[in-house]
Amino acid sequence: MIIKERLKTGIRKNLNQQYLKRLLGIIAMKPLLHAYGSTFSSISDKYLNIFSIESIRDAYCSDRTVGFGSLFIPYEFLYSLRITPFLPEVMAGFTAGLGLAEQTLAKASSNWYSQDLCTFHRSASGAVEMDLFPKPSFIFSTNLACDAAQKSFYIYARKYGIEENFHLIDVPYEKDEASVSYLAGQFREIAEKISSKMGTGLDYARFREVIQLSNRFRELAIEVNQVRRKLVDYPPYYNGLNFILPFHGLTGTENDVILYQQMLLELKNFLKEQENKGDAPARKKLLWLHLKPYYRNDIFDTLAEGNCSVVFEEINHVYWPEMDPSSPFESFARKMLSNPLAGSINHRLDAIRTMARDYSIDGAILFSHWGCRHSNGGARIIKDSLKEMGIPVLVLDGDCVDAGNSSGGQIKTRLQGFMEILNFRK
Amino acid sequence: MLTCGIDVGSVSTEVVILESDPDKILSYIIAPTGASSKTAAGKALVRACEKAGIEKSLIKSIVATGYGRVNIPFADNNITEISCHARGAISCFPETRTVIDIGGQDSKVIKLENGSPVDFLMNDKCAAGTGRFLEVMARALEIDLENFADIFLNTKKTVEITSTCTVFAESEIVSLIGQGIEKNVIIKGLVYSIANRITSMVERVGLEEPVCMTGGVARNLGVVNALEEKLSAKINIPEEPQITGALGAAFLARNHA
Repeated sequence: MIIKERLKTGIRKNLNQQYLKRLLGIIAMKPLLHAYGSTFSSISDKYLNIFSIESIRDAYCSDRTVGFGSLFIPYEFLYSLRITPFLPEVMAGFTAGLGLAEQTLAKASSNWYSQDLCTFHRSASGAVEMDLFPKPSFIFSTNLACDAAQKSFYIYARKYGIEENFHLIDVPYEKDEASVSYLAGQFREIAEKISSKMGTGLDYARFREVIQLSNRFRELAIEVNQVRRKLVDYPPYYNGLNFILPFHGLTGTENDVILYQQMLLELKNFLKEQENKGDAPARKKLLWLHLKPYYRNDIFDTLAEGNCSVVFEEINHVYWPEMDPSSPFESFARKMLSNPLAGSINHRLDAIRTMARDYSIDGAILFSHWGCRHSNGGARIIKDSLKEMGIPVLVLDGDCVDAGNSSGGQIKTRLQGFMEILNFRK
Repeated sequence: MLTCGIDVGSVSTEVVILESDPDKILSYIIAPTGASSKTAAGKALVRACEKAGIEKSLIKSIVATGYGRVNIPFADNNITEISCHARGAISCFPETRTVIDIGGQDSKVIKLENGSPVDFLMNDKCAAGTGRFLEVMARALEIDLENFADIFLNTKKTVEITSTCTVFAESEIVSLIGQGIEKNVIIKGLVYSIANRITSMVERVGLEEPVCMTGGVARNLGVVNALEEKLSAKINIPEEPQITGALGAAFLARNHA
């Protein structure tokens, strides 16, 4: 805890790219990283944190080619092209966790970014304006789910003077073979353009290797999710809402496989311990939809006090089919198209209903993040859809990044009121 | 058995002492919350005991509710306003399916099935659609809030108040006065604006009758009338709507005695 607090204080005092680069260079050295890792109570939690730091360090400190990517890009594509991914939206979450979002948001505001723009993008835009991020050579964005990413990532490209290296991946509304072919064509064209620019040529062996690692991660994630169907209680370090990076920016890496192998082992052991103890704890089981606030908050403590447990999170749903290493571009296309957030809201509803059934939930919480149209736009229909299954839904209005746009007291009252409703139903 | 409910709101604190077999309110107190919710609740409890003619030690269980519920050290438990207003409304009107509570700086709509809450909606962060909104407007118009009901019922014309923000609505009123629009007409518009906001919340949760309205604003017949008109539904009002949350808390305290 002391190490983490000191790191936070240091960054707050020296908010510039050179300091971040120096700091990451130091803390990502093996002995220090090992010391930092020892502060975590489980190996999987340690891996999660260390692998995240290493991936950020690689973008800041190495001489590798860096590519900015919006969340829904298949990162296997970047790794196959030997581009080191850097995810500004995920960094906005880290920024909130470090208590820096107030500054990045203020910077964005003074640069005419609209207050209506989602704070993941506003905070990231502020960080770009403050030159806090490593300079990218390429920028990848998509129209999948998120409207703001298309625009703000293009603004970053302009800011860095690399408009010609901005690639927008256009995901069609329909999920048919014509769409697969159209989308695969885009990946092929972008890959050829980039490899020619980098002078490397397309390395299909590398594509195969990355896709095989991604498939292995997928298998492990499915197995983890199957173990989780039997779990009501969780180890204290475990929060399924922390796995954004493993599900996005780390897919296609060996680290992702190592992390999920370890997580599977730990959860299996934890389940065995629970089964040996006898009765499973009588907690209300919740499904968490969308994301969580990344600044300090007491949402999960409040849920635990109310005897409720988040047994599954929408972000951990493995929705994509196994990828074919011999057809990388078609595989990336199928992965993007199978995302329940692509196309009609009915795809998301089907996925949510499946999760509700698989995890036998008592209730669901939709964290309605300010400005996130793809999520809060569907709040009503999601609520109605789960209500048909007899499952109450709390739509919790808040902000994942800007602590000033959420009231802790109001959120607590809503959570407690919702838990009281769940308990009245027993 | 004696139980007690304390509803610590932003504007006022209510205490109810309840007797069982048969259910009877022995006493209740409505007092301003002021700067310290803990002090206000403590003083109000002493007064409620005096009024009921009982020793505090005779109370088997105390439940606190309202925004200050967690700061009441002598409460045995704290339960949200959602459950307490629902329980309070049921004790007054057992068939209630929808509760509308408009408090000082908070408004909520609760849907009930078989006497238990199944869904709810609370107002946003701002004061629009709350008692505070009406208070600020009354001050801006220099008219006692108590007169709003009569003015609403006896005025035919109305004007649309477009601002949802309390601060902006105040400036809008100043501007309307500047345009020579009568204060009575503005008041009618203000009452409708609060009714429109609450109606939208009711519609989101889904209107089911019978409807019960709780909270201090339920004493304002102008707002009640406007809501009945907008919802096309009759609204039941408890004898003392402001204590409904505390009453519900006193009932729920029996589960913890």
